[in-house]
Amino acid sequence: MKAVKGKHLFGSVHPRDCKSVTQDKPLENIPAPDRVYISTSQSLGKPATPAVEKGQRVAEGQLIAKSDGVISSEVFSSVAGTVTDIKDMAGASGATEKFIIIDADKTATDTFRFKKLENPGADEIRERIRECGIVGLGGAGFPAAVKIAPKTPVDTLILNGAECEPYLTCDHRLMIERTDEIVRGARYAAKALGVDNIIIGIEANKPDCIAKFEQYDDIQPVILKKQYPTGGEKQLIYATTGRKVGLGKLPSDVGVVVQNVATCFAVCEAVEEGKPLYERVLTVSGKAVKEPKNLWVKIGTPVKDIIDYCGGEAEPPKKVVQGGPMMGAALASYDVYTRKTTSGILLMTADEAASEEPTPCLNCGKCADVCPMQIMPMNTAFYSAAGDFESALKYGGTAACIECGACEYVCPARRPLIQAIRKTKAYLRTRK
Amino acid sequence: MDNSIVVSTPPHVKTKRTTRDIMLDVVIAMLPCAIAGVVFFGWQALCIILMSVFACIATEFVYFFIANKGFSQKCKKAGEVCRRWARQFDLTSVVTGLILALILPVTDKWYEVFYEVIIGGIIAIAVVKMMFGGTGKNLVNPAALARVFMFLSFTLTVYTACKVDAILPSTIPLKDGTVVTGATNINGILTLSKGKDPASYLSNLDLFLGTGVPGCIGETSKAAILLGYIYLVVRKVLKWWQPLLFLGVFGVCAVLLAGFTFDSYTLDISLFLPSILSGGAVFGGVFMLTDYVTSPKGGLGQLIYYIGAGVLLAVLRHVTQMEVISFVILIMNLLVPLIDKYAIKKPFGYSKAKAGKERK
Repeated sequence: MKAVKGKHLFGSVHPRDCKSVTQDKPLENIPAPDRVYISTSQSLGKPATPAVEKGQRVAEGQLIAKSDGVISSEVFSSVAGTVTDIKDMAGASGATEKFIIIDADKTATDTFRFKKLENPGADEIRERIRECGIVGLGGAGFPAAVKIAPKTPVDTLILNGAECEPYLTCDHRLMIERTDEIVRGARYAAKALGVDNIIIGIEANKPDCIAKFEQYDDIQPVILKKQYPTGGEKQLIYATTGRKVGLGKLPSDVGVVVQNVATCFAVCEAVEEGKPLYERVLTVSGKAVKEPKNLWVKIGTPVKDIIDYCGGEAEPPKKVVQGGPMMGAALASYDVYTRKTTSGILLMTADEAASEEPTPCLNCGKCADVCPMQIMPMNTAFYSAAGDFESALKYGGTAACIECGACEYVCPARRPLIQAIRKTKAYLRTRK
Repeated sequence: MDNSIVVSTPPHVKTKRTTRDIMLDVVIAMLPCAIAGVVFFGWQALCIILMSVFACIATEFVYFFIANKGFSQKCKKAGEVCRRWARQFDLTSVVTGLILALILPVTDKWYEVFYEVIIGGIIAIAVVKMMFGGTGKNLVNPAALARVFMFLSFTLTVYTACKVDAILPSTIPLKDGTVVTGATNINGILTLSKGKDPASYLSNLDLFLGTGVPGCIGETSKAAILLGYIYLVVRKVLKWWQPLLFLGVFGVCAVLLAGFTFDSYTLDISLFLPSILSGGAVFGGVFMLTDYVTSPKGGLGQLIYYIGAGVLLAVLRHVTQMEVISFVILIMNLLVPLIDKYAIKKPFGYSKAKAGKERK
């Protein structure tokens, strides 16, 4: 279908996108690592419970941890080999998580697959998405099985191909190289939801992807303006359909479900090949890495192996970021392991990564001007610094914040606004 | 990987714009006004500008040096303290010094007002800014308060010794060649509205270019201010509508009030431009009212602020028949905390009444 233009967001920033470094590099398969470290918390919600024992032999794609409750996801082994240990270690965020450590057996080729589905019904697709442990691959990692079974009736499925984070190009490559699989995955998801209307939102800086999706009759491509964060869920829904998701509401309350393009690709593989989710695409970029690349990476691969595969450091990085530069987490070392939600590894040099000291707030109001949720981050920062979290919530509107980082990006005084917002949100959680 | 790696909350990329950068833009935007002032009023204007800027920077440095604990320690490590000061120096005091100078009139005997300008700078920086916590913490515009202080304290010297240039047309109604309050042509308009000779005031073009207009150094040439305004808008330091809203509201209110007497009401729209272009309204609207620190944070608050300032200026000018822009700026500055408290932005997707209905 012919692409149409999306709506303009009220608040946004325009960071330098730095995508040209990797956007023309095809996805490569990184060789399986010798040892993988798979965390049992691979999605939002409860961590999964280990279903294997120390010393047990596992096949590639075998279930190693069972989901615990509704908001939780199944975890699969990404290599064939032997479980050497199950222990608590510090995850990327610093919090303790349970890791299943598997030594890969390079000669083994045993692979587990579910039964292929042919012309599946809605229930079959939903069940397959759940048993394959598919989560939202955009970054938040919400279990897809929950999203695909909304409590209210929906009429539209939106594919998120915005990839508005600077540097990241893995979704871009996936959309070019695997367009057909993404479309088939989207059709399965639409069937599970019982909707006919499929929209894909793609940022205007990816005209090649837009042209690819224009070839399909049942998909409506929407060209999103180059605004950060146009790929945020609520922003994407507004930009593509004009619907506003209310505070504390879910997208399904306005009749839409949003899925990332990579998630749709995983759905397609799960349905057609019975392949569980234990691999994903990610971008390695930044000026401090020798050869920036787009990679297919197995879940649990150590970041160190990935950096080595990309030629190592070109110079000592100032910041190592997991995910995009606007929302990703800064890592303290390379002893971190990829997970289902890792969309990028960035090695940033001192002139790329901002690390200036904060100066006094000027009250310029730029943070409120660029906020896509139209809240006032300066108030949150001001009141939370004084320990008055109630006022921070009241005057700052913190509860609505999506932590996109636009406010801190634009702040001329370099105020640590996201930190203040997270502090206030932590208070909000204890209060409830 | 070495130990110099930084771990922090996102975002990890930030805009190149810093506070110093923005302040530099404001300084650049005021340069046309300063140049116009020097051209119209001579080298004495340059002396006042330099004195004022120097006084502000020096005050900030001295305050930085002696305030807080460890004075004797600081004396021992004077070099390091100077470097630290230079690192945090964000040009705000240069902006204050420039604004203060540009809203002062020029005198022939500039050396006589030397100490007055210095005191003005000290008041602006030490009392109004630094004592409240430095950059970003002042309640009111430092330059505006310093000007009001000088106006009240040094009326005799600064404001009556004001230089009226030889290029002045003889038609301007001025008492003995002096300009009370240093404002331009306010009396001309006010007398006009009372039915005096319409030829006795400057043309709009003169007011716009500043040719032959008595007044303060930077306020007279609206053309120069317009250049600065365009620069600030292009550099996104201020929103284009802010000064225009203020001036528009002020002009409309001034026109409405000017025709008002208790017996009759006459509406003279031709007063719109002269009211805006005379006095310091344009300079105050572009450079002083829009000061980040002392204006509201959100869009709605700013709307209230600029409309309020426009109405207030029109009313006070009409009542006092004097140039009161500095007082108006101070009053509106003091209202900002109140405005900020009630003009809170509603988050995206907020709905008051429909909270329960939305699930359809």
